[in-house]
Amino acid sequence: MRSVLTAFIVCLFALAAGAAELHPPAQVTAGNSITIATSGSGDATFYLIGQSVASKRHVQAGTEIAVDSEQLERAGIYTAILCASDGCASANFVVTPAAPNRLSFLVHPSRVPVDSPNRISAVAFVQDNFHNFVLKSEAVKFSVLPKDGKEISATRNSENGVAWVRLSSAKKEGPTRLGAEIGHANEIRVVQQVAADACNLRIKASRAKKDFLVETDPVKDCSGNSVPDGTVVSFTKVDEAGKATVDVPIKRGVAKVELPVDGRAKITVASGVVTGNELEVAGGQ
Amino acid sequence: MGLRYSSILALLAALACVVLVRELRVLAKENAPRVQLHADNLGPRSIEDLTSKSIPRDYALAWQTMEQALEENRPGLLDGYFTGIAKQDLTQRVHSQIKSGLHTRYQDGGHKLEAIFYSPAGDVMELRDRAKLDIEIMDGGKVIYQEPVSIEYTVTMTPGADRWLVREMQASVKP
Repeated sequence: MRSVLTAFIVCLFALAAGAAELHPPAQVTAGNSITIATSGSGDATFYLIGQSVASKRHVQAGTEIAVDSEQLERAGIYTAILCASDGCASANFVVTPAAPNRLSFLVHPSRVPVDSPNRISAVAFVQDNFHNFVLKSEAVKFSVLPKDGKEISATRNSENGVAWVRLSSAKKEGPTRLGAEIGHANEIRVVQQVAADACNLRIKASRAKKDFLVETDPVKDCSGNSVPDGTVVSFTKVDEAGKATVDVPIKRGVAKVELPVDGRAKITVASGVVTGNELEVAGGQ
Repeated sequence: MGLRYSSILALLAALACVVLVRELRVLAKENAPRVQLHADNLGPRSIEDLTSKSIPRDYALAWQTMEQALEENRPGLLDGYFTGIAKQDLTQRVHSQIKSGLHTRYQDGGHKLEAIFYSPAGDVMELRDRAKLDIEIMDGGKVIYQEPVSIEYTVTMTPGADRWLVREMQASVKP
């Protein structure tokens, strides 16, 4: 019933619009100006409705109406409406994206442990100069530009306006630049590669007055990169007084703590899921 | 004494606001358009259970607030579910409607939403929406355009603090 009523109203509009007509081009490339031919005569009002525009102006029916390029920058469906004394006429037209010349480039994460396979994702949305999605397939060149290494690049075709690639981090810590390129667009993002988890964690103990000073060797990952200062190292002591754990951040590459010991004690060390060697000490020695 | 009364009044006003916001939320949920999500061919990341519920809910609420913003010419309504270029475009549209004395009324016939790309990091999703709409454009109280349309939108959504936001929305005629 509703659709019959809608059809009836649409027919009424079509009949009412019989005198004035307008003929926009069926398809326009974004950022281009157009002229819309109209029929009829006398004073009329012209409306242009689009994704980001809803303009209104007085025109003469039967003349050509100029539409500025600034009003047609966003891709999508536009409706041109001409209302004269005898009713309104309308026509839809499509604004299609211009040539690809811009990338919205997302790289994740911004910090990544070294030697992590497929841990970095790079996604590029292909756009024209006016931020419209370019949905047809286009070749996007991704490149990795290490600080002191050779550029590596690969090309991926976009699908539905998106091209993406997964990358592994290098074995050496430090920043690396990732690029994506299309047309005149060349977007660069920097990913900081940081040391991975500690590896071969080792501690040594020495006497300090009544307590023991327990200290790690310089803490490094399995590729030899220094684990960053601030990373927490946990020292656990088990002696006659019971079990006690102290969390200490790495400072200048090492973590150290003074532990009081009652009788014989076992001291262990861990950082994250990595455990190190075990020491046996005796108080009063 | 006066201070005590003003505190009570402030408390009552705050309570009334809370009740009003709750009522508005309930009303918003009741009036949100129907959105069906299909994520069978989604990649490279698989959609999480929670995300598969959040996307259609938030997309429906985005449409609801957009329809309301364009009908009542209230750009502030776009703050809830839009961001980036989509928000910029729609805000510009509302402002130019205000300037021209126009408003747009939608009768929403529902959305078939197909998720087509979910980034490996989970920070952006691209979707295709096949929407059925009855659009009515009015100049003041006069209807100047009315048409039932089927429109296909290419949409990107990104996660916000507690919801997914529409970042880009580009229309094309349904093939």
